Amino acid sequence: MTAARTTSRPPEADTAASLRRPRIPTSRIAGCSAVLFMLAFGVYSLTTLDFSWSNVAASTQNAVKVFSLMDPVSLPAPPDLAYLIGLTLGIVILGTVVAALISIPVSYVSAANTTPAGWLRVLGRAIGVITRAVPDVVLALAFSLAFALGSSLPGILAIGIHSIGMISKLFADAIEQIDHGPQLAVRAAGGSKAQEFWSAVFPQVLPSWIATVLHRFDINLRGSAILGYAGVGGLGYAMKVAFAQFPEGYGRGLGIAAVIFVLCVVLEIISSMIRSNLLGVDAVGNGLGGRILRAAGKRPPVRGQPPGGHVAALGVEAALRRPWTRARVRNLSWAWTAVAIVVAGYWMADVDFGQISWNYVVPTLQSFWPPNFGSHSLDEFAQALLVTVEVAFASAVLSLVLSLLVGSLAARNVAPNNAVRTTFRTILVIFRGVPELVLAIFLIMVTGLGNQAGVVALAFGGVGLLGKLVADSFEELPPGPERALSAAGATRSQRYLAATWPRGLPSLIGNSLYLVDTNIRAATVLGIVGGSGVGFYLTNASTVLTLHGQVTTLVIMVFGTVLVVEGIAAWMRRVFR
Amino acid sequence: MSSPKPTPIISVSRVTKDFGSTRALRAVDLTVEQGEVVVLLGRSGSGKSTLLRHLDGLERPSAGVVEVLGEDVATLRPAALRALRGRVGMIFQRFELVPSLTVLENVLTGALSRLRGPRLGLWAYPRSLKLLAITHLERVGLLEKTYQRADQLSGGEQQRVAIARALMQDPRILLADEPVASLDPESSDQVMRLIREIAADDGLTVVCSLHQVDLALGWGDRIVGLRHGEVVLDTTTDGLGRAEVMEIYGRVAASTAELTAIETELGAIDVGDGVSVGTAARGGRR
Ligand SMILES: Nc1ncnc2c1ncn2[C@@H]1O[C@H](COP(=O)(O)OP(=O)(O)OP(=O)(O)O)[C@@H](O)[C@H]1O
Ligand SMILES: [Mg+2]
Repeated sequence: MTAARTTSRPPEADTAASLRRPRIPTSRIAGCSAVLFMLAFGVYSLTTLDFSWSNVAASTQNAVKVFSLMDPVSLPAPPDLAYLIGLTLGIVILGTVVAALISIPVSYVSAANTTPAGWLRVLGRAIGVITRAVPDVVLALAFSLAFALGSSLPGILAIGIHSIGMISKLFADAIEQIDHGPQLAVRAAGGSKAQEFWSAVFPQVLPSWIATVLHRFDINLRGSAILGYAGVGGLGYAMKVAFAQFPEGYGRGLGIAAVIFVLCVVLEIISSMIRSNLLGVDAVGNGLGGRILRAAGKRPPVRGQPPGGHVAALGVEAALRRPWTRARVRNLSWAWTAVAIVVAGYWMADVDFGQISWNYVVPTLQSFWPPNFGSHSLDEFAQALLVTVEVAFASAVLSLVLSLLVGSLAARNVAPNNAVRTTFRTILVIFRGVPELVLAIFLIMVTGLGNQAGVVALAFGGVGLLGKLVADSFEELPPGPERALSAAGATRSQRYLAATWPRGLPSLIGNSLYLVDTNIRAATVLGIVGGSGVGFYLTNASTVLTLHGQVTTLVIMVFGTVLVVEGIAAWMRRVFR
Repeated sequence: MSSPKPTPIISVSRVTKDFGSTRALRAVDLTVEQGEVVVLLGRSGSGKSTLLRHLDGLERPSAGVVEVLGEDVATLRPAALRALRGRVGMIFQRFELVPSLTVLENVLTGALSRLRGPRLGLWAYPRSLKLLAITHLERVGLLEKTYQRADQLSGGEQQRVAIARALMQDPRILLADEPVASLDPESSDQVMRLIREIAADDGLTVVCSLHQVDLALGWGDRIVGLRHGEVVLDTTTDGLGRAEVMEIYGRVAASTAELTAIETELGAIDVGDGVSVGTAARGGRR
């Protein structure tokens, strides 16, 4: 039928019609404009943050001066170092465990299939969102009043509360993904709600929950350095104290930074190992740990041999005695190791409940409400927020440019040869391994700059993240169009620009926005170290009980901004799908 | 009937169930006496699972009364409802064992209604219950699998574990929702025989939904046919032939073509599980 119609018309008209460009949907135009606008804003941010070459040169001079004046890199004496490491690990372990324990009931009421009532579900999700919105360092600053100086409890509580957001979200997601059948079976057998949960739900979600807790532990350890700025003891605090003395403390500060870095990498390796070995889950991390683990080619051990027929031969009484299969030994030893680690964490963190000033606890909690501007104005806070957002965008743009370069060269289908690919993949892994907060503190100390150092540090971390995503998304692209072009005699760079690039773009936009999102949160925290942006006001307000209303205001403003970015990201994903 | 009528163990009268705009059951009447083995037949979506769920108090009727073991299910308080569910064992098409737990622990969950508070791990159960659970495992022929993970067992074995779990409840009634629909013929045979044996030995009342008419004929004492939520057939299987079931079920079965059509409707020609909307199968699998 169609054939009949085409033959009835002159062929030229048909070709011309097919050549006419299809109308570009308005949403697409809006999306492109938004992308361009955000790029422009990022570049503008770079300039307005005084990211000039002269500034870079000045800070380089600064750095050179610092390096020439400072002592050689040194470490604290071994017992001191061991104590500091123990204290840091103890605080992070306990904080993460506290968060995990609180997350159990929160996720229970947040998950659609276990929640007892709709309003509880809303409450649970709200707890998650709020706890995630308040940075742990702000919590630690605010709590410090209710505890004796030098107590580790503010740190534990801060990590414990802030981590609830992510952990309870992932816990609840895991609950929603289980098979509901066993739960129904327990109910049908007359089990109570609690019995349903512990007998049918918990055993199913346990592996994924353990993985979540380990993952969060890694994140908390990477972020723990910053807690030192809130007076929480440990490596971060020791680093802060060291960097406060110029020039004699810098060598030691650098040494401690290196220790934190090594600690993060080592524990990431361990946690990946546990995740893959214990849970039979492949190492999924993109960081150093996962890499090293995969390179070592460790496979999950074979399942324990099923208990032999001897049980049957011996009868019912004998069957009461559970055989020591390899699986049982392994599970038991893991369980006891976990208990031992938590107990050790408690001991290392020097927890002393006598350090709580109980009469400060309730006023501290009350002081956060209602939000207010204190002696400041909305305008001042908005200005500060703008600076923080500029830091986030500036670093994102830097990351984007560098990631396109590094990430492209790390992609198999773009890199000219395998050596180049391996080199750039390695660079990416190293960038990801560096805890960006530690790097930022170091840069801020060494260059004497606040925002610029923050931008550089965040850009580094961003390249690690974005570069890998760029490389992966390029490698995932089906090779068809490139093949077609090379068959047509196109050069490598022509192929890259004409075929690879356009198709990788949508996911790149999404990932860049995700980076902006995380950067805003990180820039807020960095402002606390560098004394700029929202962080500046947060630092001032957190330490005084009567100013806590401002903390709430600032947190709400940052959170609102993050929500806007997330909204834009969601919209972009729809537009550029 | 000549013998005096005993009080029914299950009595469903004029039960209607609506899910939003779908009417799953329409004025269903069903009385089951102590010790009867009843088969529910009907094609997918006819309301078999919904009816069975009512018998365990997992669903409340929109209208009508469900009485199980002399109690009106809809009016029971939560504690009493749990106690009642404890006396009614249930077996599912997909077994619904907790995959990562040992067989023994899965069987022990059957005793939960008799225990206060949640239990986690084998050590949380008293020795006497463990002994009992192992006895039940021996009875279903799986003693040597006691400490194996449930997901390492074959389908037939898993269903037998589920039967042991139901036995752990010390039930008076056993409900089974297409217990062999996902099993191969051999295991399916084994499981059906096991249920029948246990029912006879323990004097259990059984209500079991099935897809296969042939299986139902040789197995049950009585057949109840459902169509679009209505009971359209209720008869004993004594001397009943396949054609007769078809005839009664379809009211009139004039031609072979029509018979085949009814047969399809009954689910005798199993179209597989892809279209099943049974509750157990629906349980959120992705
Ligand atoms: N929880 C529910 N929500 C909404 N509709 C439901 C629900 N449970 C059952 N239904 C509907 O009620 C009807 C009867 O379903 P039921 O599961 O009882 O059928 P069935 O005879 O068990 O079918 P199958 O052989 O496929 O298991 C179907 O139309 C089904 O869609
Ligand atoms: Mg069903």
